[in-house]
Amino acid sequence: MSNQQTEKVIEQKVEKSPSGLSIFWKEILRDKLALVSLLFLVLTTIAVFGVSILLDKDEIVRVDPFAIYEPPSELFLLGTDQGGRDIFGQLIIGTRNSLSVGILVTIMSGFIGIVFGVVSGYFGGHVDNVMMRIVDFFMVLPNIMIIIVFVTIVPKYSVMTFSLVMTAFLWMGIARLIRSRALQEKELDYVQASRTLGSSHMKIIFTQVLPNIMSLIVVTMTLNLAANIGIESGLSFLGFGFPQDTPSLGTLLSYATNPTTLEQRWWIWVPAAILILVLMLAVRNVGEALKRAADARQRRAS
Amino acid sequence: MALLKVDDLKIHFPIHGGILNRKIDEVKAVDGVSFEVREGETYGLVGESGSGKTTTGKAVMGLNNITDGDIYFEDSHLNAKKGKKVDVRNDIQMIFQDPYSSLNPRKRVIDIVAEPIRNYEKLSKDEEKKRVQELLERVGISSDSIMKYPHEFSGGQRQRIGVARAIALNPKLIIADEPVSALDVSVQAQVLNFLQDIQKEMDLTLFFIAHDLGVIKHMCDRIGIMYQGRLVEEGLTEEIFNNPQHIYTKRLVAAIPDVDPRNREKHREFRAQIKEEYQQSFYDYFNEEGLAFNLKQITDTHKVALPERG
Amino acid sequence: MWKFIVRRLIITLPQLLLLSLLVFFMASLMPGDAFTSQIDPSLSQDAIEEQRERLGLNDPWYQQYGRWVSGVAEGDFGTSTAHYRPVTDLIWERMINTIWLSLLSVIFIYAIGIPLGIISGRWNDRLVDQIITGYTYLGFATPIFIFALVVLFFFGFTLGWFPTGGSVASGLEPGSFEYIVSKLHHLLLPALSIALIGVVGTVQYLRSEIIDTKQKDFIITARAKGAPESRVYNRHIFRNSVLPIAAFFGYEITMLITGSVFVEQIFSYPGMGNLFIESILIRDFPVVTAVVLLFGLAAILGALLSDIILSIVDPRIRIK
Ligand SMILES: Nc1ncnc2c1ncn2[C@@H]1O[C@H](COP(=O)(O)OP(=O)(O)O)[C@@H](O)[C@H]1O
Ligand SMILES: [Mg+2]
Repeated sequence: MSNQQTEKVIEQKVEKSPSGLSIFWKEILRDKLALVSLLFLVLTTIAVFGVSILLDKDEIVRVDPFAIYEPPSELFLLGTDQGGRDIFGQLIIGTRNSLSVGILVTIMSGFIGIVFGVVSGYFGGHVDNVMMRIVDFFMVLPNIMIIIVFVTIVPKYSVMTFSLVMTAFLWMGIARLIRSRALQEKELDYVQASRTLGSSHMKIIFTQVLPNIMSLIVVTMTLNLAANIGIESGLSFLGFGFPQDTPSLGTLLSYATNPTTLEQRWWIWVPAAILILVLMLAVRNVGEALKRAADARQRRAS
Repeated sequence: MALLKVDDLKIHFPIHGGILNRKIDEVKAVDGVSFEVREGETYGLVGESGSGKTTTGKAVMGLNNITDGDIYFEDSHLNAKKGKKVDVRNDIQMIFQDPYSSLNPRKRVIDIVAEPIRNYEKLSKDEEKKRVQELLERVGISSDSIMKYPHEFSGGQRQRIGVARAIALNPKLIIADEPVSALDVSVQAQVLNFLQDIQKEMDLTLFFIAHDLGVIKHMCDRIGIMYQGRLVEEGLTEEIFNNPQHIYTKRLVAAIPDVDPRNREKHREFRAQIKEEYQQSFYDYFNEEGLAFNLKQITDTHKVALPERG
Repeated sequence: MWKFIVRRLIITLPQLLLLSLLVFFMASLMPGDAFTSQIDPSLSQDAIEEQRERLGLNDPWYQQYGRWVSGVAEGDFGTSTAHYRPVTDLIWERMINTIWLSLLSVIFIYAIGIPLGIISGRWNDRLVDQIITGYTYLGFATPIFIFALVVLFFFGFTLGWFPTGGSVASGLEPGSFEYIVSKLHHLLLPALSIALIGVVGTVQYLRSEIIDTKQKDFIITARAKGAPESRVYNRHIFRNSVLPIAAFFGYEITMLITGSVFVEQIFSYPGMGNLFIESILIRDFPVVTAVVLLFGLAAILGALLSDIILSIVDPRIRIK
């Protein structure tokens, strides 16, 4: 980047108002699709978490040999599966579980990725070089398979260990993004000024760099949430996600590997498939709107 | 006595490019520059955009990786290898070119100005507030403004806030990197005069960077002319303006507009004449790569980059 | 260029080392003995201990690692605990199937992605572009396993156009024309499932490259000089955008591997991904270890290959 360009970028930065939230909010209000998506997400989350408190989880996962593969009816809104378990109830609890793990993994992997990326980008040079080689390495690995292996061999398998295993192999994307922004950010005059004023690197990272890349972090984490919901349901679909007897959207879909279910018992897998798709799209719509807002804020000021 | 001594400084930046983002070339932003800044004086570094002035200034501040060469401040070697690093941060401070980008838009004035104080001194909240207010008054900003954000100020005021921050620790040397070039012409003179006042009051040494010879003439005792990462000429202000030796300096000097409208025609002819000379004799003054030669002493105070055959 | 290639090769060595250490670490966490699988778990504790000593399982880890690596280097992955056959034999049959699947997927990705990307970029913001962008929008958010399920449901079951499992119809003579046709027939749906989702990145990349290129001076000049629009496009766009894309296929290997794990499972296609899931479900760890190592190797070498090819064709460097 030439000097003139750098200076232009710098100027754009400065004009942004102290509050980023209001700009995000404005963009979402303007983008009807994002607004609908956000409403859908909020309502789904409330509904799913609310209803699942009311639902009797043990009742839902209890095998009922007299109600196997019931099609939708008044008693079973979306029918039952091969164990006579209510699909609708599983859908509710499954959505709750998928959302929770998605959010948990997004936060944990986001934390690792942000720390890794900001350190790498801020210090640059050899530190950056070595750290990015590590990211490259993990990025190129077939991580889904490695997650599957660890999920199988980890002792005391639980939702938490599952989330930790996912986190361990899903932090690289955000690390890379944050790193390239931190690399630009540290060249800005006010960051450099801080160094000349005797502030420590840690202090500069936490009080100057991180607050100023917050919008990128929010956008990336949102988009990652969509991806992580997809990955979780994929793993559960293969049977390596949630522990047995914990419903998840992917588990419902995995019943469709039975050809008869796939062909004739749509009520078992189609609702779950649609729900995963709609959830991922909705999160992404919100993420894209946030991204536009963050980009526009940079552009507008120039 | 030399407060700051820069010796054969070289700073090369790698250029990365292509899909794989590997190093494909190198910018020699500074390529063998030596000069001294003496205690109490104002030393001016002038040259066109991209000639490496900012890079030189930042190197003195320790903001750039130095490819080669040495920098001394008083008696300490600033870029010494590990272990012997000396912290002269509170002795050298910088005023940045762009008052818009050098103040964090998310911080209040008090936090901006107090940053160096918090790093080097332990003051109570009240004492700190008082210090910041004093500093602000000193640079001509109302002390009521401490809770404001940078965007509530004009460019000139922001630059004053930058100065307040720079003088908070009573430094000996201030590097001013084009402190007025981003400001309206109407406030430039005001800020320059104010800088001179501060310099006198606080016994400061100024290392003044600019691309505008008029500003340099107004401010500096001695001047170095920079072209493509190298110095082409150095001397007292009168020497540079009245007796420029290097064709590049001559052209710069000729480019200063003449304030007297009666001389305008004459001045234009003169400028055209210098331009022609410049084009004809370019290779007498620059080597085959288009870079300046090494500086040669022609008087006690005056140095010019001329080829060996001299 | 040579300097880059050499440096890139040097980076690959620690990558390979890290991969082998990671897989070794994984394997040592697996219950039983994932490397040699020669211990019968039904033996008494003493007998097992004696066997462990004999097999060197009580040696320090680096000695075991050394032995394992040198075995692997000679193609010895131990014996499958489920099939009582050398892992190498077992993998070999499946690997060929997966290679065919990946190859066909890549061909589809290019055959579909390049035209779509060019059309979308060249007529950007027109109706065709909006349709294509809509497709990439959906494709980007659709997990491959859902897409593959729907494809199987629709084309395999509802319409019955394609077989719903296996890699070839039984009873055909290998090498005969019918045999090959049947193989292709079985491959088509799985490969299309991978390709239609995997194509999204290619389309988006090409589209934005072309929109960028359009603004560049040389295109505007060439057009102004009266060069036919299509020739300007074909020449410059080919050099600047399509050539690098062709070199991306090595990077796609990681995506292909992930895709094959899901798709082979859904279409019951007997490839490596399918073998991996099967083996892990029956705890056949020697096979699991071998598959992960081979897939990891493929991904690392793929990225290496792409990097090297790019360093040769990357026009942004050559033009300079
Ligand atoms: N961090 C950097 N990375 C790469 N090139 C740089 C960097 N900083 C400056 N340069 C380059 O070094 C040259 C000199 O820049 P600079 O010192 O800012 O010039 P000036 O201040 O005289 O305008 C320019 O060509 C500029 O593009
Ligand atoms: Mg500058």
